[in-house]
Amino acid sequence: MISTLQAASLRHLLRHPAQLALALVGLALGVGTIVAVDIATASARRAFELSVQAVNGQATHQITGGSAGIDERLYAQLRKETLLPGTAPVFAPLVSGYVTVADRTLELLGVDPLASAELVSAPGAATDTSAAPLQTWLTEPGAVMLSATTATQLGLTTGSQFDVLIGGLRHRATLMASPQNAGAGFDGLMLTDIAQAQEWLGSRGRLSRIDVRLPAGELGAALFARLRARLPADLELLATRAVGRETFAMTDAFTTNLQAMSLLALLVGTLLIYGAVSFAVLQRRAILGVLRALGATRRDVLGIVLGEAAVLGLAGTACGLLLGMLIGRGLIGLVSRTINDLYFVVAVNEVTVPGGTLVKALGVGLGTALIAALLPALDAAARAPQLALARSGLERRVASWATRLAVLGVLLCAAAGLTVLGSGRSLPGGFAALFLLLVGVAALAPLALRALAGAAARGVAQSNPVVRLACGDIAASLSRTGVAIAALGMALTAMIGVAIMVESFRESLREWLVETMRADVYVSAPGAPAGPERRLEPEVIRALLAVPDVRDHSEARRAVAQSAAGSLEINALKLAPEGYAGFRFTQGDPARAWPQFLHGAILISEPLAWRLRLTTGAPLTLRTPSGPRTFTVAGVYREYGNDRGEVLINLAQYQHLWNDAAISALALYLAPGVSAQHAVPELRAAVHGRQALLIRANADIRALSMRIFERTFVITRVLYWLAAGVAALGLVSALLAWELERARPLAILRTLGLTPAGAAWLVLAQTLFMGVVAFLVAIPAGLLTALVLTEVINRRAFGWQIDLHLNGAQFMNALWLALAAALAAALYPAWRGARAPLARGLREE
Amino acid sequence: MRGIRAAALAGVVGALGVAIVPGGVSRASPPVLSGVLPATTAAAGFAQAAAPRQFVFPRDHGPHPQFGQEWWYVTGNLDDATGERFGFELTFFRFALKPPAAEPQAASAWRTNQIYLAHFAVTDVARRKFHVAQKMSRDALGLAGAQGSPLRVWIDDWTLADPGGSGESWTLHAAQPGYELQLTLTPLTAPVLNGDAGLSRKSDEPGSASYYYSMPRLAVRGRLTRDGQPLAVSGLAWFDREWGSGGLDAHEAGWDWFALQMNDGAALMFYALRNCDGARDAHSAGTWIEPAGVAHALRDQDVAIDVTDQWINRGRVRYPSAWRIRVPSLALEVSVHPVLADQELKVKPQYWEGAVDVSGLRSGAGLAGRGYVELVGYDRGTRAKGCHSGAD
Repeated sequence: MISTLQAASLRHLLRHPAQLALALVGLALGVGTIVAVDIATASARRAFELSVQAVNGQATHQITGGSAGIDERLYAQLRKETLLPGTAPVFAPLVSGYVTVADRTLELLGVDPLASAELVSAPGAATDTSAAPLQTWLTEPGAVMLSATTATQLGLTTGSQFDVLIGGLRHRATLMASPQNAGAGFDGLMLTDIAQAQEWLGSRGRLSRIDVRLPAGELGAALFARLRARLPADLELLATRAVGRETFAMTDAFTTNLQAMSLLALLVGTLLIYGAVSFAVLQRRAILGVLRALGATRRDVLGIVLGEAAVLGLAGTACGLLLGMLIGRGLIGLVSRTINDLYFVVAVNEVTVPGGTLVKALGVGLGTALIAALLPALDAAARAPQLALARSGLERRVASWATRLAVLGVLLCAAAGLTVLGSGRSLPGGFAALFLLLVGVAALAPLALRALAGAAARGVAQSNPVVRLACGDIAASLSRTGVAIAALGMALTAMIGVAIMVESFRESLREWLVETMRADVYVSAPGAPAGPERRLEPEVIRALLAVPDVRDHSEARRAVAQSAAGSLEINALKLAPEGYAGFRFTQGDPARAWPQFLHGAILISEPLAWRLRLTTGAPLTLRTPSGPRTFTVAGVYREYGNDRGEVLINLAQYQHLWNDAAISALALYLAPGVSAQHAVPELRAAVHGRQALLIRANADIRALSMRIFERTFVITRVLYWLAAGVAALGLVSALLAWELERARPLAILRTLGLTPAGAAWLVLAQTLFMGVVAFLVAIPAGLLTALVLTEVINRRAFGWQIDLHLNGAQFMNALWLALAAALAAALYPAWRGARAPLARGLREE
Repeated sequence: MRGIRAAALAGVVGALGVAIVPGGVSRASPPVLSGVLPATTAAAGFAQAAAPRQFVFPRDHGPHPQFGQEWWYVTGNLDDATGERFGFELTFFRFALKPPAAEPQAASAWRTNQIYLAHFAVTDVARRKFHVAQKMSRDALGLAGAQGSPLRVWIDDWTLADPGGSGESWTLHAAQPGYELQLTLTPLTAPVLNGDAGLSRKSDEPGSASYYYSMPRLAVRGRLTRDGQPLAVSGLAWFDREWGSGGLDAHEAGWDWFALQMNDGAALMFYALRNCDGARDAHSAGTWIEPAGVAHALRDQDVAIDVTDQWINRGRVRYPSAWRIRVPSLALEVSVHPVLADQELKVKPQYWEGAVDVSGLRSGAGLAGRGYVELVGYDRGTRAKGCHSGAD
């Protein structure tokens, strides 16, 4: 019996290849999106880990300071001291910064190969790779090493001479070696001697960090305690692993967002599979009824439907994995570019497929297919044999489900609201609320469709019986139309929500930029945001300020300081009088906060206030070279430039406490009547040949900021289009199946006098109607979603407050998608409905 | 003599890769030997040991950066109060990667052409263990360096110094896991110039020479800390100094170096140079130092050496491991036996350097002593470049 069942099942699937294909595509897209996001984030993380381990990878700990670094004499002293008799911790110095070659930014690492050798090798064993002879390394000016991959990408070969740009200054480098087998961790790194790095980065006398290898166990713990006690107050001794984790954790909010978007695609995919499997069951109701009549048990029927779903799930998962790897490769570029734009430089040249991803994909693909099949399978198995033969029974039940589903939908939306209120600051809690909301919308959609279709049928009843028939038909076929509209409604909701969020964010950023950027021209040294190498040469500053058109200026120094909460970015400012208005306070009173700021208090940006839960009046302790200093928060200001937040401190105070007189950037105010377009070339000429600086007009920086913003959201767009694509496919496949089944009623209508064109229009009107209903459902739901995204998700992820901005364009993409899907779904059935011989249509039952 | 070894090691330093490439340890390639260095250092404007010179102490205890390489070499035999016996070696090598030049202004403090390498070995006779540690550092930031007046050579906390500046009492400190040495060394003789008034020629090649002096007897007192347990030790040490810019000739494979301290106060230094075909080279030479400190140069033909035993290391490298040395002109015949067979420094390049016992006859009378022997060029990696392509 079972084998007969299986044969029947197989034949059915093979007779409907299009349906099979659509279900597979839906599942594959859903699984593929999840796999792709996993691969992209895992590859970026792996590349980052490898780059952390690439140099002095055997170090267990590192000594770090703020951006001012560590006095190199400390290193020399540490090497001579005995912390604990009979023990020998190993130390290796490191100087790091950023270097630009052609248009590529690489991390520049200056090492002492002799000390690094001690770190990697057992005592007594010399280390020898012949990769870069020590003689060249130490004595060849500008000698650097790149991985073979990076060298090839830059078009360099061993012996090549090329220019590097560091902090705006041009230097000559020679590629002394490019090891083939250096490992992926070396991609994106430029290695050079520590002396060379100090000279290039302008950090003579300073080290970025000291890598330490301590033994394991109790001895290591004792040494750790001794060493920490020995270090000056502004330095920290941290486990290397913890530092790597903390650094990569910067991207947590970003990767969580990606994963949530990929789940969305799967959620839509689930509905699609549900649709496909339930259609397959519906289409075979006659066969299944006959089999039951012939003696197949309920268990047999349940087994065969679930078995089918399992096979479908496995095949879909396999396709999804392949698809995911393809999409994943594409996403890696987007993900690493965003990480490079926002967080740190990472070069991802290898694809990492985490083992967990395969399991996850299998669980998700198979689980989704089985859950989607369970309801139709139970239904088919539970029916008495004769009832299974009649479809009307199912439709009646579905109609009653629609009401129950709608109640469930309302409950889900309420649960979403409660989750928002109850989950405090939790980001996953925010996403949980978002998903509850979306599922709630999906559950509400069938009832909305029935109600609107019923209303439409009644509304046009007098004028046109055919339209009434068409609308009544939609309401009566909820088993198909309901699922399609739920999937589409959910996807459109997400689309509208994301569109509003992105647009609101963009507008908030734009307003903020206009408000903040009060000066006419901004001058900065290129480099990492808080890199110590970002330094304007003093004579360059003098030359710039001597330009007659410059009326006034603000000065800024970007740095990093350690706090109990990790390293924090410092923005030390000396503001021109006009500069003060550029800060919009979200907490604190500017009239009081600014005088306090000038007398030693600090201001903090919104994300930092959120992250560290600081409010006005709260203390914040930072490590300075002269020991820990506690500052009072005088106010919180809006800032979108840095999702980790920053500390604003008076420049004079910073210079005094951190003993760092360098300036990273200048904001120049021009004399009345002088345009920035006119002044920029003048300023460039003033510093020509001294330092390659970024001298940009206010408008150019705003444009650049917006470009980076748009880049950041490219991935979001890619993912929501994927989700929308899945939904559109779902609509097409559901409506296609439905309309094809409706050949008979159409044929009857034709015999009653409906013209072929009329038949085509009827089909089209039905699908368009559904598209519009899905869109209408999505409008309020999309607004709610946008609120959750801006007020809950964004706030919890970054602490930003975003003002909601609404306009019609945000809804247009969703409308076009709905209409396009409806149109695509209608084309073939409409053509067939118009052209098919009437006799065949009538013969069906 | 062992300046040649400095040259050999300099070749290694030249080839030493950068340890930052992961897995670098396992990808080690055989180090290149001295052949590299004479060509580069001779051509690159280093001073050459070409003619005898006037030695001035303590200035000449300090570095000679105009030469390509030099070393400070202390070996010694120690006893503790209970009669436990130890041998130790602490060597500092200096290598110039380039001739000294004016540093650009505002250069990083890490900029230097001078590299220091040190080996610290302890022979723990009672436990039959030999331990070695190595340090390498650049002559920058005070991490490593050398000075003559007063003497001080160091890498990190490993030092050989004359803290008082009087030359009467030196200190030595070095530590490795399990062993720490803190010694006071009292020179019992003035420096003895080897070769032709301190000029030591290794071959007929003009650049293949060095300046070489020894202090054959330094009384040692101090503390050896083993596994946290301090032991009071005393004994006798040998100090060797050499600098130059050349290396071995291409046909020379290595050498056996003997520094033997007799109980009657006399001392014998002899180096036997070996060619690639295993035969002894005619440039082998040495010095006989009478108890009163009077030195006599020994030529190749003055000294006969027979190997009476051998030792094979794990890598199947055969080292001679016992010798009979005869100096007919001195009526001297002694047997030399290592206190431990395995005193090989498992560094790159590998070499054997260990404490030995001496016993024999001088003019018919019984004679005993202790000393140190160095065996270089047995491991393929330490052999001269010429031996690889030619007579290997």
